[in-house]
Amino acid sequence: MTLASIALATALVTSVTMFLAQRFSTRFAAVPKAIAPARGSARAGVLYAFTKAFAPTAKESAALHLPSYLAGIGYHLGIFAALLRLLVSLLPVAVPAAANMILTVVLALGLACGLALLGKRTLDGRLRGISVPEDFLANLLVDVTLAAGLAASLDHGLMPWFQVTGAVLLLYAPLGKLRHVVFLLASRRWSGAYFGRRGVRPNPKAPGTDRG
Amino acid sequence: MAEAPAKAAALEQALHVLRGRLDKRTAAFLNACVRCGLCADTCHVYLADRELESTPAAKVERVARLFRRYHTLLGRLTPGLVGAQSLTQEALQGLAAAAFGRCTLCGRCALNCSVGLDPAAIMRFARTLLGAAGLVPQGIRANIEAAQTSGNTMSISPQDVRETIAWLENDLRQAIGDPGACMPVDRQGARVLYALNPRELKFFPLSISAAGMIFHAACENWTLTSTDFDITNYGFFAGDIEAQRAIAERLIRRAEKLGVRELVVAECGHGYRSLRWEAPDWLGRPLPFAVRSFVEVMAEYLAAGRLRLDPSKNPDPVTLHDPCNLVRHGGVIEEQRYLLRHAVTTFVEMTPNREDNYCCGGGGGMLAASEYAAKRLEAGRIKADQIRATGARVVASPCHNCIDQLMELNRHYALGVEVKTLGEIVADAVVLPGTS
Repeated sequence: MTLASIALATALVTSVTMFLAQRFSTRFAAVPKAIAPARGSARAGVLYAFTKAFAPTAKESAALHLPSYLAGIGYHLGIFAALLRLLVSLLPVAVPAAANMILTVVLALGLACGLALLGKRTLDGRLRGISVPEDFLANLLVDVTLAAGLAASLDHGLMPWFQVTGAVLLLYAPLGKLRHVVFLLASRRWSGAYFGRRGVRPNPKAPGTDRG
Repeated sequence: MAEAPAKAAALEQALHVLRGRLDKRTAAFLNACVRCGLCADTCHVYLADRELESTPAAKVERVARLFRRYHTLLGRLTPGLVGAQSLTQEALQGLAAAAFGRCTLCGRCALNCSVGLDPAAIMRFARTLLGAAGLVPQGIRANIEAAQTSGNTMSISPQDVRETIAWLENDLRQAIGDPGACMPVDRQGARVLYALNPRELKFFPLSISAAGMIFHAACENWTLTSTDFDITNYGFFAGDIEAQRAIAERLIRRAEKLGVRELVVAECGHGYRSLRWEAPDWLGRPLPFAVRSFVEVMAEYLAAGRLRLDPSKNPDPVTLHDPCNLVRHGGVIEEQRYLLRHAVTTFVEMTPNREDNYCCGGGGGMLAASEYAAKRLEAGRIKADQIRATGARVVASPCHNCIDQLMELNRHYALGVEVKTLGEIVADAVVLPGTS
């Protein structure tokens, strides 16, 4: 193993440990189990939150801002591809040429989307108004990792640089806004269960209606 | 001279809440917000005033800054980098303006958040924190005090309740020509307890008459109560955990004492939500009776053939305002439409509608917070525009809180509509047994 690989593996273990510690921390009060009889189904609500609710038409935040929504999708595809490539770099396997080509395209797309979102945050007065310095830092950190990944996919000799930037990103992720990667899942589960249980989304049939 | 120590004590109390009363769900929401700002256009307050401070993201950020300062490593080490903020009087004042003055807890942003967090839940926590610091608007506090001392927010005595109901019962008998029609009060062992918003007794007795007519037509075994009848809960609006539980418990104990099998909540969005969804959690036990909205009960009567309606008795076009607490937070979505389709000649939907509907602007206790009256009317412009676009002459809403706001919007924006409860519209269409 190279030094960069060791750094990446160490950062990965540290990051996962920190995330788990945060996610299962007992620092905050437990949420009591809901007692009122359900009108709908919490399970159906969670399922909805992790499937249909991701459709661009499901929420106004996406439907009214399609370019931002699509940029967000592209950005996160790039990030997941980069993380996958980093994981694979720790294994004694070679990436096939076709897969590497797809990876290159996805990383390039992710980087372009990331920079576009950074540009939006810089230029859009409303978005700038709700931003904190770390919003820019986190975006740049991810963009640098994506750029390093892109460079490494074109020239494998640059892989150690990609691994080092990846290690920095992994170590930083649990500390700043990037921790939303874990808390997004928890949030969707909470709100999905909330609206599902109350029969809001999805909404079960009511007397004389054809809505289901 | 005593002001400084009092303020310091208030800050200490707020800090205690921030450190010790945050639950895992709210903490997850605060950790999840990425400040994408895509929620802005989902908020009626922002759509009306276009001020950055009215975006849900900006409101959430006021709590998130405090959260990062006291609950995250970077917030403690590099507050400037992550936008962490210490709890100060200024921070609390800003938070009060956001949580009480720019948010009605309607939850439309929660349904549309790209991440899936619930800004309204965060604002409720903000209100709990502000309550600890003594920064709940006086109007809301006064309602809590009245409910806790007299049993209802308008301090109506049991004798006044009995006299008002006797008068309404007499009217009902004359209106339908049936001397046997009755509006029972404190009847032990009735199947249904119909609980009221005190404003109905004082200002909207016709909505009680309508309920009497509908229960009579459906041959229901029901009762009203002269004590602890209040379905409203300003403790809920204030985020006052102890008060909201105590207020709900009074009515629940009264229903238990009467031995009813069902508590039917009059047309009141937050009253329904408090009693149907939240109260069992507040009390930590299931209730020994069902809790339903009067809207659900009317729909059931109609579906079961216990209620016959003639839509030609309501010839004017009617539109429907969906109360946030009944619909978005309560799941009662289609029943009111089912009723209107059978009770009026022309029913026109607003756009958007159902759980996507905009708040009227009067939710979350805004109507009781006079210091935010101008903002409330400004935020109501979105609802006024929705109503105007339907061309309807009548606006139905199964919520007395919404009705108060809609009536004010009607005057302020010269909408020229009539505002009614669903029960009033249904009662107007009732065909009594033995008549055609």
